[in-house]
Amino acid sequence: MNNEKLEKIIDSSRTDQKELIHILHDVQSEYGYIPPEAVTAISRRLKVSESEIFGVLTFYNAFSLTPKGEHVMTVCMGTACHVRGGPQIVEDIERKLDVKVGETTADNKFTLETVNCIGCCAIGPVVVVDEKYYSNITLNKIDPIINEYKEDKS
Amino acid sequence: MKLVLNGKEIEFEGRQTILHLARKNGVFIPSLCDHDRLTPFSGCRLCLVEIEGRRGFPPSCGTYAEEGMNIKTHTPQLKKLRQQILELILSEHPSSCLICSEKKDCDDYKSTIRKVGETTGCVLCPNNGRCELQEVVETLEIKNVHFPALYREFEVKKKDPFFDRNYNLCILCGRCVRMCHEVRGASAIAFVHRGSNEVIGTVFDKTLVEAGCQFCGACVDTCPTGALTERALKYETLRDEESKTICPFCGIGCVLDVDLKNGKILSTHPANGTSLNRGQACVKGRFISKDVVYTSKRITAPKIRKGKELEEVGWDEALDFVARKLKAYKGSELALIDSPQMSCEDIYVSRKFSKEALKTKNVAVSPGYAPQSIYSSLIMNNSMQFPLNFKLKDIAKARTIFLMGIDLTVSHPIVWLEVLEAVRNGANLVVVSPTELASTRFATQWLRNKAGSEIHLLGYLSKIILEQEEALDLRSIEGYETFLKSLVKLSLENMMEWTGIDEQQLRDTALSLLEEGPAAFLFGMELTSLSQKNMGGLALQNLAHLTSGQLYPLGLENNQRGHFELTHLTSKKDKKIDNIKHSMEDGQIKALYVMGTFPWPKKIRAEFIVFQGSHENDFSQKADVVFPAATFAEMCGTYVNIEGRIQRSSPVIEPVGEAKPDWWILAQLAQRLKRPGFNYKKSADILVEIQKNNPGLKKASPEDLKKGKEIFVQEGLEAASQFFSLEFSPSIPKKSKRYPFLMLNDYNLDTYRSLYLGDVSRGLGKIRDPEWISLCPEDAEKIGLEHGDSVKISSELGKMSGRVRLTNTVSEGIVKSNFIWSENQIFHKMILKPLGSDDFKSIRVLPVKIERG
Ligand code: SF4
Ligand code: SF4
Ligand code: SF4
Ligand code: FES
Ligand code: FES
Repeated sequence: MNNEKLEKIIDSSRTDQKELIHILHDVQSEYGYIPPEAVTAISRRLKVSESEIFGVLTFYNAFSLTPKGEHVMTVCMGTACHVRGGPQIVEDIERKLDVKVGETTADNKFTLETVNCIGCCAIGPVVVVDEKYYSNITLNKIDPIINEYKEDKS
Repeated sequence: MKLVLNGKEIEFEGRQTILHLARKNGVFIPSLCDHDRLTPFSGCRLCLVEIEGRRGFPPSCGTYAEEGMNIKTHTPQLKKLRQQILELILSEHPSSCLICSEKKDCDDYKSTIRKVGETTGCVLCPNNGRCELQEVVETLEIKNVHFPALYREFEVKKKDPFFDRNYNLCILCGRCVRMCHEVRGASAIAFVHRGSNEVIGTVFDKTLVEAGCQFCGACVDTCPTGALTERALKYETLRDEESKTICPFCGIGCVLDVDLKNGKILSTHPANGTSLNRGQACVKGRFISKDVVYTSKRITAPKIRKGKELEEVGWDEALDFVARKLKAYKGSELALIDSPQMSCEDIYVSRKFSKEALKTKNVAVSPGYAPQSIYSSLIMNNSMQFPLNFKLKDIAKARTIFLMGIDLTVSHPIVWLEVLEAVRNGANLVVVSPTELASTRFATQWLRNKAGSEIHLLGYLSKIILEQEEALDLRSIEGYETFLKSLVKLSLENMMEWTGIDEQQLRDTALSLLEEGPAAFLFGMELTSLSQKNMGGLALQNLAHLTSGQLYPLGLENNQRGHFELTHLTSKKDKKIDNIKHSMEDGQIKALYVMGTFPWPKKIRAEFIVFQGSHENDFSQKADVVFPAATFAEMCGTYVNIEGRIQRSSPVIEPVGEAKPDWWILAQLAQRLKRPGFNYKKSADILVEIQKNNPGLKKASPEDLKKGKEIFVQEGLEAASQFFSLEFSPSIPKKSKRYPFLMLNDYNLDTYRSLYLGDVSRGLGKIRDPEWISLCPEDAEKIGLEHGDSVKISSELGKMSGRVRLTNTVSEGIVKSNFIWSENQIFHKMILKPLGSDDFKSIRVLPVKIERG
């Protein structure tokens, strides 16, 4: 892990405790997750205990504790999507990627997440990969989506 | 102001919550998340009330009383609501026992004990009988839970010392979290995760040890359920008696509640409603008092050496034998050593005994260099007097707090709570420390000085202040000119090099000391052990005088102040431990009577040694006679805490084995030596005599103390107005090629008389082990050491060994160790030399070399 980068993020911010969320955001976008070293470093800088920081960072979905994969696959579990088969879709993807919700695949390609309604219930069930929306998902539409990103070498 | 509560008009004043007001007026509103010392949380919603003209049901714990309110606390609708809320809470809490129809019988006979497992049943819950949830269930008459039960299936956390955490029983009231954060400043635990996954936890689910827990037990005591429970109590039944004692493990003297069962101590808790510790204590008072009393290391009978072995004998035989032996020596051939951990009565009799029975002037008290000794030396050398009393709660009111030479969270946890309160109210906190401490996290200014430069740093601060305050007319104050002259040696150019602090930071600190109102200067042993002439204390005294601040000398031992009051008038003639050691080597002193603990060389040359104490240690093994002394829990005793507050405790249990109070043993001997005036029947007789002979303690009447009256040492003194000339040599200890590290020694009071507390509490050893040598990871890597490796440390003065503990709290080039008197034999060589040698070197900072060992 690159300590200089970390120090820069923490240093560039002010030492005010109100900066905690901003700093966490910066760390998240730099590393894709919040590494433990960062929690220690932030704690010393902001004079907030590590457990308190952990409390904040586990409160928000925006922060993750494990490195995120190249692609984040989000399955909607809002009411509308739920009744139209959201849970089965999640299960299927979990099996195919061999991960549980919130985890990242061993090859670091995918992180699987769920969300409660993303505001397009009419076209549900919805799966979002990174920024791209896939609508009216059925079980046989899953493989093509996974393959699309597996092959993508970017 | 007035309002109406349940149809009755009541008067109130100031800002207070409705819940608080109702309680004060005898109205019981169920509540689970509220706590007197904590900010309102309004999480459990049990305390809902109706207020005329307000929509909904505001929580009374978070709603403040206002003029003219009309409040109802017990309507049928509220009752129903509360029942529902409680049922919801119970749906996530094992509740079969709470509502079981057999509950009453089961409590008495455990008739249905096999029905349910531990985590589902009250009867086996360690909190049974002390559980607030049980109480609330009863008051709200819950008979059934109408929601599906949810068991969260958390693994019980058992890796930490002292208590277990079973979050299956947690109702997320947040009391533990707020207590840990608001009152203790540790913030080791927090709410983690969100929504239905919310739970109390630590950073990355680490152990509490790793998360910075102090193991004060405040969370355990405030938890309304059995989620947090003392491990030692888990399989104990309920107490059948309650009593009170005074904690003997530090200078604060917390009042502790003692739970007893069949005449034995079950556990000790901080007492509520005392003006001293206000429901708080620390790991020592909370978790290990019982172990100290019942450990197998207790000396339970008098012993006499017969041949090679110490053999148990009766009191009469032992006393007769010792009296006969002592008679054979001249006064000058005898020496006596007592301890500031003894009660006033014991110390008084010990001094009287040495003067009138032993007829010796060779009397010493175990550790020297206590913060108060600054005053003894001033009193002795300049016949000056100082007011020493203070009130802990004044610290919380200070606008600036200057903290130096002490790791307050460990040494004086309750003082730390007051400092924290001041900080939370916006006070400035200046901490002077070369290493990171729990307190530095809260500092507005952390002066991370070069180790050993403290006296210089204080000199510089005074110098800066004097520059700015030329207008002040200080010339007339005694000692001003010589003080000023002594500061000439400190040139501002050298400031950074000597102290490691940049000029601007020092100037800012000086300014805040001047402008933010009088500061409270708290200091401890690590400042006073810097120089034999107590330059550290004098330098701080000068600074406090310049800024009209107050000094708070923080002695460590529970009765250090009492010892001081009883001896300072005569202590001019007191010997130092090392004088006694020398006289023994010269053969002048032939027999020793030891009641205190102190470092002792491996070979003791004495013809006859009496050891009087409560616990076995290396020294007791070498004695010719051993007398078993009663502990704090087994006798009446008067103690004076750091504030000058006089407290008296009564016995809570019968003495263990044949143990007797120290005064009794000494008085028996004196009577056998045919000395008059030792015919004491009880300890109160001695206290009355102390009152007569000791002006400071004249108000300490046994009756008033028993009634719980607040009594302080009598002073009535004005602080003498005087400056002291400072010496800035010997110079700041430096690293060299040969000794490339500086070792800082913190004095650690994890001892009770002859016992090292870690010997009876593995848990204490886990949180602070005197064998630890703290080192930063960078340095460790350089010399190829890892966490836990054994190392040898050597300095000009001697060698010692220890184990590496990696921590970021020390900077490169520094190692830190703890020392306690009496244990850690290897260390003594290192300590004893400077104590005995004429060219005194600081025992606080030593240049050392570290090797794998
Ligand atoms: S024991 Fe004290 S420091 Fe540790 S978690 Fe509980 S309240 Fe916090
Ligand atoms: S552990 Fe106890 S004090 Fe802490 S939130 Fe749970 S029930 Fe409340
Ligand atoms: S703070 Fe001191 S007196 Fe209070 S419990 Fe701890 S050791 Fe005992
Ligand atoms: S429920 Fe899935 S988008 Fe609204
Ligand atoms: S006590 Fe008021 S909401 Fe818990």
